[in-house]
Amino acid sequence: MKNISEDREKSGIFPFNSACDCDKEGIRDGELSKAVFDVVVIGAGIVGSMLLRELSRFECEIAVVEQFPQPGFGVTKSSLSYIHRNHFNPPGTLAAKLCAGARKAFRKLSDELRVDYKETGEFLLALEPSHIPQMMKRKQWGEQNGETGFRIMKGSEVLRREPEVNPAVLSAVYSSGHGMIYPPEWAFALVENACSNGAHAFFGTKVIGIAGNDDGLFTIHTGNGTIRSRFIVNAAGNKAAKIASMTGDDGIELTLSRGTFAIFDKIHSSLVRNILYVGGGDPAVSQVVGPTVSGNLILGLGSFKTPDSTEDTKVTRESLDEIIAMGRDIVPDLPVTDIITFFAGIKSVNNLEEGGDFHIGYSDLSRRVIHLLIGSPGVTASPGIARHVIDLLSDGGLSLVEKKLFDSSREKKEDDWDKGQKWPCGRIVCRCENVTEATIQNAIERGARTIDGVKHLTRAGMGRCQGGFCEGRIIRYLSEALGIEPTEITKKGEGSEQIKGME
Amino acid sequence: MIDLDLAVIGAGPAGLAAAVRARKEGIRDIVVFDRDDRPGGILNQCIHTGFGLLRFDEDLTGPEYAYRFVTEVNRLKVPVELGTAVVELAKDRILTAVNGKKASKYRCRAIILAMGCRERTRNAVMIPGTRPAGIFTAGKAQRLMNIDGYLPGKSIVILGSGDIGMIMARRLALEGCEVKAVVEKNLYAGGLIRNKVQCLDDFSIPLLLGHTVTAIHGEYRVEKVTICTMNEGGEPDERTAKDIECDTLLLSVGLIPENELTRMAGIGMDRSTGGAFVDNILETETEGVFSCGNVLHVSDIVDYVSLEGEIAASGAAGRIRGVLSEKRYGKRFVSGRNIRQIVPQSITQERETPLFIRVQEPTGPARITAGDIARKRVPVARPSEMIELTIEKKKCQKLLRPPGEGTIEVNCREE
Ligand SMILES: Cc1cc2nc3c(=O)[nH]c(=O)nc-3n(C[C@H](O)[C@H](O)[C@H](O)COP(=O)(O)OP(=O)(O)OC[C@H]3O[C@@H](n4cnc5c(N)ncnc54)[C@H](O)[C@@H]3O)c2cc1C
Ligand SMILES: Cc1cc2nc3c(=O)[nH]c(=O)nc-3n(C[C@H](O)[C@H](O)[C@H](O)COP(=O)(O)OP(=O)(O)OC[C@H]3O[C@@H](n4cnc5c(N)ncnc54)[C@H](O)[C@@H]3O)c2cc1C
Repeated sequence: MKNISEDREKSGIFPFNSACDCDKEGIRDGELSKAVFDVVVIGAGIVGSMLLRELSRFECEIAVVEQFPQPGFGVTKSSLSYIHRNHFNPPGTLAAKLCAGARKAFRKLSDELRVDYKETGEFLLALEPSHIPQMMKRKQWGEQNGETGFRIMKGSEVLRREPEVNPAVLSAVYSSGHGMIYPPEWAFALVENACSNGAHAFFGTKVIGIAGNDDGLFTIHTGNGTIRSRFIVNAAGNKAAKIASMTGDDGIELTLSRGTFAIFDKIHSSLVRNILYVGGGDPAVSQVVGPTVSGNLILGLGSFKTPDSTEDTKVTRESLDEIIAMGRDIVPDLPVTDIITFFAGIKSVNNLEEGGDFHIGYSDLSRRVIHLLIGSPGVTASPGIARHVIDLLSDGGLSLVEKKLFDSSREKKEDDWDKGQKWPCGRIVCRCENVTEATIQNAIERGARTIDGVKHLTRAGMGRCQGGFCEGRIIRYLSEALGIEPTEITKKGEGSEQIKGME
Repeated sequence: MIDLDLAVIGAGPAGLAAAVRARKEGIRDIVVFDRDDRPGGILNQCIHTGFGLLRFDEDLTGPEYAYRFVTEVNRLKVPVELGTAVVELAKDRILTAVNGKKASKYRCRAIILAMGCRERTRNAVMIPGTRPAGIFTAGKAQRLMNIDGYLPGKSIVILGSGDIGMIMARRLALEGCEVKAVVEKNLYAGGLIRNKVQCLDDFSIPLLLGHTVTAIHGEYRVEKVTICTMNEGGEPDERTAKDIECDTLLLSVGLIPENELTRMAGIGMDRSTGGAFVDNILETETEGVFSCGNVLHVSDIVDYVSLEGEIAASGAAGRIRGVLSEKRYGKRFVSGRNIRQIVPQSITQERETPLFIRVQEPTGPARITAGDIARKRVPVARPSEMIELTIEKKKCQKLLRPPGEGTIEVNCREE
């Protein structure tokens, strides 16, 4: 293979000195070394992180490169974060195959990595007769995919269990055991565990070109220099087509869809206890009201209105009005005045309904390059995807010998919550979510580098006042720990400096 | 479990005034809790003047005003537990407080809620657009500047003309920032007139009335905002959209009383104030639990906040000594013409009672009445300025004898 492409757009720069030598137990901000890797994973979303962690079981040199300062800052952080039962994927698809067993995998990982995973029930609601066949189709798919326990319930029973639901509800399909996670926290823990098993992680490192060499190695050009590797896994999410074009695989197009969400104050945590979808509840387009793993209420709607680009995560007035109107269809007394935040996420969708599917396979030019062109539900499928990709790597010629000393558990630094009590003992910095100083310091030690980074790892600033009281202190902790000026601390990476008046 | 006569939650001006008064009324066993490292509450970041005009007839800064109470608290040796957050409040007046070392439970004979308020955020007013760095609530910017010593940005647009927004406009202008505009959706300024004059007019900062921000632009840092005029239906008129370049957007779009503990304890709340329902000793519907200051209803003048702290403390002292009659329903105030909120919401005790009233719409000269028991003429009435209407003690006596329920309508009629 010859030099295939070089994409010279503005590259990601380390938001902190590459000399910064992080805690060995944490994620290593490894120097982009001359070292040759067996496998480089591009993208540390939930998929890339899961893969890195599963690959770290084997005797090989592996690394992940990620443009953002932290794992899980791509689509992964704006996902609805449910680990679905396997009833949204048409039987026989790769998506259905890879989502099978997801619950079990997440439960086990939750124990090993000590990250939160909770389960709740789900209603597919028929609010009008046309919804009935849609919800029944999901039930049928689920059963064909080997799931059990779907129950048809009368409207009155739905209302008994969820009194806030639209009283017009005719019937519903109920099932229990739907998982909830906070994906950025998971991505972080997965990468951390992989690194403690010898993997390398390069953050703030954007891939801008890939070249094939005569010696059988690929050279990956990044904003921070080059890395070489025998195998490449393209887990760049919505940017997978772009990375694919760097390896000469042109003509791939992803269909994008934008979902908009609103999060409500925790005072409404018990307003609804189950995930409530309307009709078939196609997670790509349907409106949903449900709980989150952290005890908030979430309202959202996916829409096929194609966004301008993969970065186009702005929230529009129309989409806000739309989700609120649709949300009121499900729960008429939605406490709209207690919305504490809203956001949008762009995902690639596979149009499973129209015969679409996940596409995971080798590059047309080499069996040592694997592209992951997946869509929703990428979080649910991620353990399955990791297993599948490892098989493909093996078939492509990577020899996989299990490490003798693989440590599947992540040591969680003892923080203030760990002493088995209901309340944290420590100086509370974020008063809405009761996050203590030690927890924040701990997150920075683990590799949080930005205000949003601290937020996604600790929930500091995620509550009802949205950082109103704690942000100044978090900026100070970051600046002290990293040895840089407060004016250099960013919200989410270079260009997003939060304090800007002192230059 | 520690037994306590009186717990005061919050060491802002409301909590401090309450603690001082309770001690002066002979209550020995008091603890004041505050999660912050210093007493004074929000006053610590209000380094401008304008505090104490009514109470001390002096123009003090926030920290100076707070200092007077802190000195008193220290002189009277009332223990203040700093760095200690109350995280739980149970129905039976049992609270849980955590500090750096441990969680402790207190069983209290009386509790005074004085937790203050927090700001509404961008999300609460639902401004669409991207989510870059450079968006601050005005109070957060004030804290960053006055406590942490950081200047948030250089060219600034402020949405909302609440007092904090206007005070921050001046503060930023003094630091050499360019304050491009204060954008207000109503046709009148949201804060005190004195702040409009002293903070905006004197610094030639444009106040765009009848406008709002409809979008935020910039992927990493704010680059510009779009503003529109409001149409008659109260919606932004997209045809008037125009962009203002800026690197920072400040929001001064209202305050929310910090009542999570109050709700946790199942105490009845008033939707119009966002605080608890209280009677004229500021006792909530739960006997022995009192509420005062910004957690009860947002005040624009701190002098009233201290006064409320004192009323609540007298009530609490009465409960602790057991001299008050059993909690019962008295007469309730209801909002009549052009009235948005009334605190207290009811009268149960025979004592002189200041009513704090906010109107719905601004008016010229008007007459404020509470049934036929109190009236007052005001030259103007604005939603931003609380009106105090005092009900004499003997009127309260008449009202409560014989005891029984009933309502009193409060009205604001333009003259
Ligand atoms: C609104 C919404 C709701 C959803 N709800 C659910 C749900 O309930 N359940 C579920 O299972 N799934 C859900 N999904 C889908 C799920 O979130 C995604 O499928 C999943 O997060 C994809 O993960 P990923 O790792 O493939 O992508 P990403 O998280 O986007 O990771 C890709 C990473 O690659 C990096 N990258 C890209 N280009 C480069 C480059 N050139 N150099 C270096 N790094 C690069 C990116 O920065 C990014 O971090 C939802 C998605 C959305 C948007
Ligand atoms: C920016 C700004 C400018 C102002 N300018 C003026 C002015 O010029 N002139 C004027 O007269 N008034 C002004 N005011 C109004 C006045 O300062 C406030 O009304 C007054 O400070 C409110 O006092 P408070 O005690 O109710 O609340 P706060 O001062 O907010 O105090 C509440 C205290 O409670 C603590 N607390 C809360 N919850 C807990 C908990 N769970 N456990 C422990 N502690 C807790 C907090 O840490 C805080 O210290 C201004 C207000 C603001 C916000």
